[in-house]
Amino acid sequence: MVIVKMLKLLVYAAVIFWSLLVLLPFIFVSLFGLKSNTAIYSNPLGLFDFAPQWENYVTAWNAGPGSDATIGVFFLNSAIIAITALATSLSISVPAAYFTSFLTRAWNQRILLLVIVGTVVPIIMLVIPYFRAFNALGLLNNPVATGIVYGALNIPTAFLLMNRFFIDFPREVLEAGMLDGLGPFRTFLRLVLPLSKGQIVAVSVLNLIFAWTDYQIAIVLLTRRDAQPISVGLLSFIGDFSADYGPMFAGLTLASLPVLLLYVFFSRYVTKGIALGGISK
Amino acid sequence: MTDLKDRKNSKQSSPSKPLRSTIGLAATNRKWAIASLVPVFLLLFLFLALPAANSIWLSFTKWPGIGTPEFIGLRNYETLFTEGRFAESLRITLLYSVVASFFIVGIALLLAVAVSSNLKGSKFYRVIWFFPGVAPPTAVAIFWSLSFQPEFGAVNAILGFFGLPSDNQWLAQSATVMLPVIFVGIWVGVGFAFLVLLGAVEGIDVSLREAARIDGASQRQQLFQIIIPLIAPVMFTILTLQLIWNFNGFNLVFAMTQGGPGRSSEILPIFTYVEAFRYGRFGPASAAAVVAGAFLLFVGWLGIRLSRSRQVD
Repeated sequence: MVIVKMLKLLVYAAVIFWSLLVLLPFIFVSLFGLKSNTAIYSNPLGLFDFAPQWENYVTAWNAGPGSDATIGVFFLNSAIIAITALATSLSISVPAAYFTSFLTRAWNQRILLLVIVGTVVPIIMLVIPYFRAFNALGLLNNPVATGIVYGALNIPTAFLLMNRFFIDFPREVLEAGMLDGLGPFRTFLRLVLPLSKGQIVAVSVLNLIFAWTDYQIAIVLLTRRDAQPISVGLLSFIGDFSADYGPMFAGLTLASLPVLLLYVFFSRYVTKGIALGGISK
Repeated sequence: MTDLKDRKNSKQSSPSKPLRSTIGLAATNRKWAIASLVPVFLLLFLFLALPAANSIWLSFTKWPGIGTPEFIGLRNYETLFTEGRFAESLRITLLYSVVASFFIVGIALLLAVAVSSNLKGSKFYRVIWFFPGVAPPTAVAIFWSLSFQPEFGAVNAILGFFGLPSDNQWLAQSATVMLPVIFVGIWVGVGFAFLVLLGAVEGIDVSLREAARIDGASQRQQLFQIIIPLIAPVMFTILTLQLIWNFNGFNLVFAMTQGGPGRSSEILPIFTYVEAFRYGRFGPASAAAVVAGAFLLFVGWLGIRLSRSRQVD
């Protein structure tokens, strides 16, 4: 009994330790964003003993791509990339994942394998050809075109997670659609999509996180400062604010907030959606 | 007995109706499946297969970034394998990818087992542990590289608090730079692996664990004799994914160190980026990317094989 209790205590200790390790950096970043340089240096761990410096956020906001441009430009580019990517990958992979789930299990597996083998191709193998093609087509510094790249690269994951979900979709619902005289596509549109909201939300959030946070492709295809997303824009913050950490942390907070809020708001669907990927089939 | 007989009867007669209509459904949907897969494979061809092929071709050429690439055979590969830098980069990449991935899967497994045994607040952990994987790697990298600063960084302060050496120049020295990088890689990666493994652990039939508990199996026995064997296919899959993702871990490492000091944290994606876009050596860069691609294809294939062979159905 004592051993069981000690084991339980150990589990709790591990869980609490990991939670602190995960949360403290986020707490510190948001606190440092409100501190003056002297407060950061003199008492970095202080929680309440400082006067909040809201102007850090103003300074950070004004550190845009040019002297008169704010980081709103970076945010706008990020939003264009993320939304284009989402529209591309969802519109293409959701119907395909659904209709593929009607094929025999063997064929479904074969197609799934063919689709997800693409995730193995390293992005470094793709960026140089992307750069060549975009350069030749005059698409460099075009956030929409870059968004389509991110969308295409998201297709395998979106297809996999949606396909796993549709395989277990109740067939009675579909038969009801057939009996009502709805064709396959209208059954999909009117009956299946509304019932798949949760999984589509999960896939969308993962998709948006990838397009918002990755910069390996953006840094190559978007070379002009005013075409860059926030993930690239932040890179210069460490140099720009090397003597003034408050605004830098304010900038980190601003850049992280959209994805973190999106995730927290939909976390129920996201955590479930990812877990579904782990159910071995 | 009658119950059993009833079931047997129903098995023969009644499913024939739903079965037939499902087949009808499948036939009408087959056309739609083919039609909807066309754009999928078109985009995958345009954005994955074609560039990958182009990358292979470029690896046999000399191309400074403008003009027409000039075919030079295997010279880029010769350069790569005779200059030591590529081998060194490959070594760093493997070190980072293998160490980080095994730690990620190990920690994620422990956390998943802990949370699945009805721990209080498990919903909360499930949400927050994925935060590091959601935040932009640039932001994460900047925060952590400041924390590893020698004078005012939090890491040295904490070490000093416990009476350990607190003047470490973590990121400034070739000998130690990979430690913080690997640490942060683990910090970022655990959340996703945890969620996937938790899904697998919770997918295990509750009665199975219950029966084992009643039979007097200890926690450790349950873990090694029930949980791990049952989720082994998922563990292999997530380990394979982690190896591939960390091998490609450009976002985090580049923002933390830019490959420095010198080139001592230059994992292959950074090597390729720097060779191509800083020095204009697109040929050798493509060759390095091709070697990486071939290697990852092998890792992916091995992962699928292992995951399949462990599947208990």
